Amino acid sequence: MRTIVFILVFICSLFPRLAMAQNDRVEALRMAFINKKLELTVSEAEKFWPIYNEYNDKLKALKRNLKQAYRQNASGMTEKEAADLVHLEAMTRQAEADLYKTYSEKIKAVIGVLKLAKLHLAEEEFRREMIKTIREKND
Amino acid sequence: MRFFLLITATWAFFSTTHGLAQGAYDSTGAKRPRHYFQSQIQLDGYRKRNQDLKTNNRIGQTLETYGLRQGNLSFLIPVYTRDWQGVDKDKTIHANEHVLVTGLIHTLRPEFKGIPDHRLRKSGVGVRYIKNNGKKSVWFIEVAPFVTRDMTYKSAPYFRLASTIIYSYNAKRWLNFRMGATKSFAWGNRLYLPFIGLRIGRLDKFNVSIQFPRQATINLPVSHHWLFALYTKPQGGMYNFSNHDTLYYLPYVKTFQFTRYELNTGLRVDYRGKRLNLFLATGFCTRTSLTFYSDQKNAGAAPYRVYFYNATPGATLYSETGIVFKLGKARSIYNNTNLYDAIDLNGGNGAGDQNAQIPMDTKRQQNDLNLEEIRDLVEYDDL
Repeated sequence: MRTIVFILVFICSLFPRLAMAQNDRVEALRMAFINKKLELTVSEAEKFWPIYNEYNDKLKALKRNLKQAYRQNASGMTEKEAADLVHLEAMTRQAEADLYKTYSEKIKAVIGVLKLAKLHLAEEEFRREMIKTIREKND
Repeated sequence: MRFFLLITATWAFFSTTHGLAQGAYDSTGAKRPRHYFQSQIQLDGYRKRNQDLKTNNRIGQTLETYGLRQGNLSFLIPVYTRDWQGVDKDKTIHANEHVLVTGLIHTLRPEFKGIPDHRLRKSGVGVRYIKNNGKKSVWFIEVAPFVTRDMTYKSAPYFRLASTIIYSYNAKRWLNFRMGATKSFAWGNRLYLPFIGLRIGRLDKFNVSIQFPRQATINLPVSHHWLFALYTKPQGGMYNFSNHDTLYYLPYVKTFQFTRYELNTGLRVDYRGKRLNLFLATGFCTRTSLTFYSDQKNAGAAPYRVYFYNATPGATLYSETGIVFKLGKARSIYNNTNLYDAIDLNGGNGAGDQNAQIPMDTKRQQNDLNLEEIRDLVEYDDL
């Protein structure tokens, strides 16, 4: 038992931060915001969230991928690397548009076109609220 | 014919647009998490106080006392995930299936004052299949072969198989039914038992859950990170035990089956983080049972019935502590009732028949709309 406690304490000491990552907190809040604004019925919510989660995961992966590519070349790049970056950005934007087209069809089939439009508004509103909150904090 | 053409055209439309999106997505090389489950490594320790074996029996007099020290190292790795969409009228459903590999190294040290310590080992690797049909139900199937040995006297390995099949039905978000069957050793014998479960209350809120034969729990999450639970569950197993001390009267018989179980009722506190869970539990052991079976007298029997020693010491205290590491990233499961349920099934059924309780991470609660909570954030990648 003492050995196990010792191992646990040792392993815990390797993890200085137990708190949830900041981005996760914002993500959780964004989801909650959307959930409230859309006023989904139980049956709509059951079908909407799995699809929206998948869409969101893919969208985040695209943005992260592009950002990483830019960061890797931030200290300097050749013309070829710059051309590759520009090409990647074009492909990413195309992929985002294609994702939106595909998933908006799927989401529309579940919650209807009105709530789909509201989803866009809710995302925008959350963005504005976030920026406002951060600005107030910095002031 | 027109109907056939309509179906074909609809299928072609959706498969084309989906293919277009996936093709464009793949061309960027962007990688999202592959699985809905994180890999987990769990370490835990369990201790039960020594008790007198008050008996006139020869074996009881030899053993004198009975206590337990137990340690587990288990892991769980998702290896395969597949998503699919329904067809025709079900095209809006989002179903998936998952294959996970589980592993366990379990060490038990029964403490008998009258004989030297025996270190018993149970280790195995299993496979778990979970299917979320995207509607109301989730299937859970586990096959977990393992081997038990007395490590102190290097007894011959003894192979066993634990397995479980459960059908879980989410009638409402706050009401879940489960039924199935399990071959389990947790009650101190080789038993084929029905699995019957009922949960009232949402998984991420206060809930009461009765999962026979695994556990009954009252869960009270007090924050996103902290969970209190009152529970009762059996804890036990069957182990190969060396006859080095001639506990079984025939000295040429090298091993016999050491079986034990106790019913633990107590309080458990869980810290649930993004990367790790910690838990601490304590309470009373009741219905403690310690039984020795010879393999010769019980060949092929399920359950074993003919024993040569049995003791049932009274109630005592136990303590258990553990840590669960969660590795890698997982896909979003926010508000996905079935995946919440799948994760609960996965966390409540320990690797290799061990009785784990790994509560799901419920940080993504839908009622939390306090923007003030995130005032300390000055950077957000997706803005």
